[in-house]
Amino acid sequence: MSVTFDPKARRSLDRWCEDAARGLARRFGRRSFLSRLGLGLVGGAALPLLPVARAAPGARAGGPDEDITGPEGDPTKCEYWRYCAIDGLLCSCCGGSVTSCPPGTEMGPVTWIGTCRNPKDGKDYVISYNDCCGKTLCGRCFCNRNEGERPMYHWYRNNDINWCMGLQSQIYHCSTALVLGVAVEGQPEK
Amino acid sequence: MHVSAGTEDADAWGQVARVPMPAGPHRVWVNDRVFRHSLLFDGDDGRMLGAVDAGLGLSSKPPYPAPGRNEVYVVESFYSRGHRGQRTDVVTIYDATSLSALGDVEIPPRVADTGHGIALAALLDGERFLAVFNQAPGSSVSIVDLEERRFVEEITTGGCAGVYPVGPRRFGMLCGDGTALLVELDENGRKASLAPSEKFFDVVTDPLTVSGVRDGGRWLFASFEGFLHAVDFSGSAPKPAEPWSLFTASERSDEWRVGGVQHLAFHGPTRRLYSVVHQGGPGTHKDPGPEIWVYDVDRKERVEQLDAPNVLFGFIRPFVGVDSTSFTASVLRTLLPSPGVHSISVTQDEAPLLFARNTDLGSVGVLDARSGEHVRDLEEVGLSGTMLVTVAP
Repeated sequence: MSVTFDPKARRSLDRWCEDAARGLARRFGRRSFLSRLGLGLVGGAALPLLPVARAAPGARAGGPDEDITGPEGDPTKCEYWRYCAIDGLLCSCCGGSVTSCPPGTEMGPVTWIGTCRNPKDGKDYVISYNDCCGKTLCGRCFCNRNEGERPMYHWYRNNDINWCMGLQSQIYHCSTALVLGVAVEGQPEK
Repeated sequence: MHVSAGTEDADAWGQVARVPMPAGPHRVWVNDRVFRHSLLFDGDDGRMLGAVDAGLGLSSKPPYPAPGRNEVYVVESFYSRGHRGQRTDVVTIYDATSLSALGDVEIPPRVADTGHGIALAALLDGERFLAVFNQAPGSSVSIVDLEERRFVEEITTGGCAGVYPVGPRRFGMLCGDGTALLVELDENGRKASLAPSEKFFDVVTDPLTVSGVRDGGRWLFASFEGFLHAVDFSGSAPKPAEPWSLFTASERSDEWRVGGVQHLAFHGPTRRLYSVVHQGGPGTHKDPGPEIWVYDVDRKERVEQLDAPNVLFGFIRPFVGVDSTSFTASVLRTLLPSPGVHSISVTQDEAPLLFARNTDLGSVGVLDARSGEHVRDLEEVGLSGTMLVTVAP
């Protein structure tokens, strides 16, 4: 889904809340939480054969180097390198992981993709943002990054769409970020 | 406690208010994805007038008001067991005065769902047909006859998305090959023709945002890189005009760009286009903007720069209990950082109001659209939502 909350703005608001609103009202704190919970989102799914994926066949050997320190290596942070085009709630914070759905949900079979650069090995990878569906919004770890994201008529690069299509229930819960392979070209804005 | 019933001092039980009619020109619907509804406000005094619900979905789909029929329509999705079970999609019909549901029309359970809710349905001119965009993931449009309250048919529109009304029986779409599509219906609402334009934009290097604004038979779309494309849908096929730049070379070097969600608004009578802008690099096209730049679309030049209202004060004021006219309030307004706005909408009267919201704060700033003066806030509008739907009387 698109929830268009700018991470930088959120951090700014968080800081403001900590500094200025500390004694202000418990209700405001709760409301802020609820606001984030409302930041619905969408996620993606798997389109391994889409021509757009442009992943190099067989290039998966070994996979990306995940030995990264700091938030770019932490799947519970928006800065995690695979999340360069994510708009959703992180399954890593919701009982699942960056590659698995939380218990009792289903992974969407179609998705949108991004092309993200691994900061450790310097390679660009095609990332499939499969949504996990069938329960209401997880409500945790909302992230919205739009590097290479495109409008909904360019559907496989769009992170606004609810990508629970094709499942029994199209209720969005959270998003994963699966590596499909090494990209043969960088994302369009790099 | 004993209270004797029926005294002349007692209030009557069971009273239910109605939305005051006739409507003034400054009403606005504000959607909320957490509460899954939309609230109707009067921009002149900030009063809430009523609400309609919105079913399940990411964005809380907005209401589509039909003043001529005195009805309001909402596209909704439901499951037979709450969030599980069989999915049913409907167009719910509300009476615009009582806001009571009069009934619904079942449509194919493929209604598109996005986080922004932009251009997912459109009421065509004359208020007889409602076009609803489907994405599953193949794209199509469901047509509903509101006069007969029945589903007409589903029109396959592969590769195109969004619905942009341009007449009683025609609407436009934007397509993944860089073209626009004109869909024309026959008098019964069935597909009469599909007519594509020539390719006029690049969907990867400089795509158009889906948040277009209508100018009669034209729609105005901004590209990610800040060029305004006018597409004329009044002929036999969409005809795009030569785009013009919303930014000077100097502004571009300072990284000014369009962005947000419902980031454009157009006041037809004065030909003024309002555009939310911010400074940022590629990939920031959904960021909120601290300013709203105003253009004359006929002269193709900027005529004003407005500050986006600080919607943070309006969001927290009800929680901290500060009187909005107090000295403390004026201090807070000055000290609180402004988070910028994602979405705007302008009324179409001679004294227009511009509404502006940040999608993650539950207040809406109200500006005098001519002067840019921040005249009031709509408070406690919800927790998180994307759209603003102004209502023509």
